[in-house]
Amino acid sequence: MTRSATRGAGTLVQAILLANAALVLAPMVIMGLSAFKTTREIFQNPFGLPAVWRFENFNRVWVEARFGQYFQNSVIVTAVSVAILVVLGAMASYALGRFRFRGNDLLYVYFLSGLMLPIRLAIIPLFILMRDLNLLDTLWSLILIYAASGLPSAIFILTGFFRTLPADLDNAARIDGASEWTIFTRVMLPLVRPALVIVTVYNVIPIWNDFFFPLVFIKSDHLKTLPLGMTTFFGQYYTDYAALFAGLTLAAIPVVVLYVVLSQHFIRGLTAGAVKG
Amino acid sequence: MYVRRRLLALVVVVAFIATLYPATVRAQEPVKLTFWSWRTEDKWAYDRMIRVFQTRNPGIKVEFIPFRQVEYNTILSSGLTAGKGPDIIHLRAYGGLETFAAPGFLAPLDFDKVPELRRFSLQTIAGARSRKDGKIYGVPFATQTLVIYYNKKIFAQHNLSIPKTWDEWLSTMKTLKDKGVTPIANGGKEGWTLEILSGVIAPNFYGGSTFYEAVTRGQTNFRDPTYTGALAKMLELRPYMPQGFMGVDYATMQQLFLNEQAAMFIGGSWEIGFFKAQNKNLDFGVFASPAVRAGDVPWVSSFADGNYGINAKTPHMDAALKFIRFTATQEFGQMFTDLLAQASPVPGVVIKDPVLQQVQAMNRKATPYIMLVGFRWQAPTGSTLLQSALQGMLAGGMTPAQVGDEITRGLSAWVEAFR
Amino acid sequence: MSLRTSRRLWLVFFLGPALLLFATFMTYPIFSALAYSLYAWEGIGQRGFAGLANFVRLFTTFPYPRLLANAFSDNVVVFILTMVIQNGTGLVLALLLSRGPWGARVYRIIFFLPVTLSLVIVGFLWALFLNPVFGVVNKALTLAGLTGLARPWLGDPGTALVTLTLINAWRWLGFPTLVFLAGINAVPDEYLEAARIDGADEWHVMRTIIFPLLAPAVTIIVILTFIGSFNWFELPYVVQGVSGGPNRATDVLGLLFYRTAFGEVDTGLQDIGIGSAIAVLMFLVLVTVSTVGAVFLRRREVEVG
Repeated sequence: MTRSATRGAGTLVQAILLANAALVLAPMVIMGLSAFKTTREIFQNPFGLPAVWRFENFNRVWVEARFGQYFQNSVIVTAVSVAILVVLGAMASYALGRFRFRGNDLLYVYFLSGLMLPIRLAIIPLFILMRDLNLLDTLWSLILIYAASGLPSAIFILTGFFRTLPADLDNAARIDGASEWTIFTRVMLPLVRPALVIVTVYNVIPIWNDFFFPLVFIKSDHLKTLPLGMTTFFGQYYTDYAALFAGLTLAAIPVVVLYVVLSQHFIRGLTAGAVKG
Repeated sequence: MYVRRRLLALVVVVAFIATLYPATVRAQEPVKLTFWSWRTEDKWAYDRMIRVFQTRNPGIKVEFIPFRQVEYNTILSSGLTAGKGPDIIHLRAYGGLETFAAPGFLAPLDFDKVPELRRFSLQTIAGARSRKDGKIYGVPFATQTLVIYYNKKIFAQHNLSIPKTWDEWLSTMKTLKDKGVTPIANGGKEGWTLEILSGVIAPNFYGGSTFYEAVTRGQTNFRDPTYTGALAKMLELRPYMPQGFMGVDYATMQQLFLNEQAAMFIGGSWEIGFFKAQNKNLDFGVFASPAVRAGDVPWVSSFADGNYGINAKTPHMDAALKFIRFTATQEFGQMFTDLLAQASPVPGVVIKDPVLQQVQAMNRKATPYIMLVGFRWQAPTGSTLLQSALQGMLAGGMTPAQVGDEITRGLSAWVEAFR
Repeated sequence: MSLRTSRRLWLVFFLGPALLLFATFMTYPIFSALAYSLYAWEGIGQRGFAGLANFVRLFTTFPYPRLLANAFSDNVVVFILTMVIQNGTGLVLALLLSRGPWGARVYRIIFFLPVTLSLVIVGFLWALFLNPVFGVVNKALTLAGLTGLARPWLGDPGTALVTLTLINAWRWLGFPTLVFLAGINAVPDEYLEAARIDGADEWHVMRTIIFPLLAPAVTIIVILTFIGSFNWFELPYVVQGVSGGPNRATDVLGLLFYRTAFGEVDTGLQDIGIGSAIAVLMFLVLVTVSTVGAVFLRRREVEVG
């Protein structure tokens, strides 16, 4: 290719990439700017900067509209679910990856079958199950289902990692007299730390953002997670555009900030399931 | 590494305890009743009325929790079937009541438990009875009428008066449109607002209660050209609805009227209090959908909006009954009407709001709001069918005859006379 | 305690909790869901065994057959549109990024950003933007002189589904972009060098080397897109409501399922029998097509690899 043609192609490439970046960022910028305006200003000056930066919109949403409460619930549910699925997943993967026993392959495939299962379709039996366990309208109904549905991917990723560790590592520790639990926690886990990070990141975003299970299981307002709380919020403040945009921005900020800071980990984590294949 | 593991375990344990804590603390508080409703707009008034109740009943606290109207049925249904519903339930009437009364989710209220019910008119109580066992399951709370709101200032500006016939109304709207004013705020994005639109417009054309009697008795069905012809009249309103009206949802409709960007709003009498609260400077009035011929008194659709009921499984039956009895008193009814400008069916209540008084006058020629009253007993309900079909019709994809056909076919699943 | 018993106990210890959790909250509900469809229901109370009665009702009693067919075809449309628009654009962007243009790292971060946002946020945001009276989209179009395009995109039965799919694509675009990018970057440089030295132009290089070696990434994306399209729920629910309006134009199997199981806008009537039957159908479609598709696509990978 001639130099000018290459440069021409290069400019075209930049143009396309820039256009897409604008398409991605513009809605979020407008959302963020609108959050600082009054409702009237949003209608009259939708694209410009706010005349006055009204931080009180955010305060209103956080306190009056109970965003703080929803936020807290999301944190609890996400943290506990991920903690459970990482711990249980690591334990199961350790057994599957380092131990030879009859049924090892069968169990592995059994867990992996969960990857293909659309658990949402079982919402009716899940609803009845939670009711019978008296867990309906509690955060536990969410935590248990998130942990359970996160196990397949966790086991998939972690078993692979455990298998790659040198064969004699645990045997050497066993000969030294260490208990299985010590071997697991002191020897094996530290070596699969990158995988633990991937599993965590892979699950944090979908669990944090989930809307369906809270929609079905949670009725009390003080237990709602952020996505569900947003629908309540939109239902009550539907004429108050300023509050609506402030709410959307508040809901988006934590994830966006976290993402920008940890973007490499996020990208690796969220595409882990896909690229691993 | 080890420390992190321990820390993790600690977090899990603490979180577990944290989620349990509220449950144990609650046992020592006064009796707390939850009250679910779909009236997000009325929360402020209910809170005030509840405070009156609480002052008189110090051991009882009532929390009013409204949900979005379009989600309320789903949430209530799954809540009750889960055994996790509220103590006090804001219920619909007719089929809406039956849905929850028949499976035994509601506590029956008789004249012994709620003596105040004796004073209500038989017709009002009828909306609170279950067809299955004839028992009363709630205290009626309001009747609603479907009307046309108009902005008095805009009308005065263009020298317009309340139209007396349908054709006069069309020409009024044409005048407004020519002058650059959006005549009607209504849109089609939410199907139920279209059902309301039909409830306002159609009765004058299908003959009000005469048709209602005939269709509920099975003497005719919705393919009847009288009915489909009435639906067709809705199409004549299209040019006068906002630009892109199919995308206009309920919130936008209300905002257009409140911001005085539209001259008229076709909706229910429950908006009176809401409009007043949202925009004190809005000078609005109401009129009934104009009759076909000059001099005829127009029909208005009306219906019992619902009842306050008690969850059969509530652990606080005594407290709940106390609250229910309170809602049946004249004091409550008067507060309700004064604060919310909605028509309370409690006998002895005096209506002071001038707009609501006009609405009550219109009710002299009221006809049942056809699908809500007559055809919500089983799935698919007449409302569900009508709502989607009207969207199709107003978007241009269906003819009125097709709408009638679709409704009749769908209803024939449980209305024998339509087969 | 013998070594063998102790080993067995350790295995139970390590595997037990995960197994219990998984079996109780994943396996058991799925099988129950299949079983429920074979029973008659009154509200949420199970009544006797009904065989295939629910399925018969689903396929013969108006309006269910039509709702089912309509929802299914909507899902298919969403899948096809998403494949073409979202994944096609993702591939193009990945190819552009793979050449290492200036700012590629920043672009990558930006493109992937919406993937982290909740669909509820995305849905509400675009619903506000697309409001025909107050929304910025129509305002922008009018300002740009394209008043003809300032339509009720979400309210018109003809455009609602496509608009929703575009919103969905806006949110997900970064994902296939990065997956394809990873796939392209995994192609060994020697192959590309060799081809370029031989004088092949870019298009030829793409066709003969990059695309075939992208097969695994394509497999993943196709399967995930398929599963995502057929499980579509949050976005239509938040933007259009549970009815899948206008006039069922955006009704998808997920909404239909939820409606029959938990009630419509105007009524809390549940039909768990039909709801479960729909779930079984969706399950069969998903599992069958995913498996067949995976096998088919894997075979292509093997041939090429």
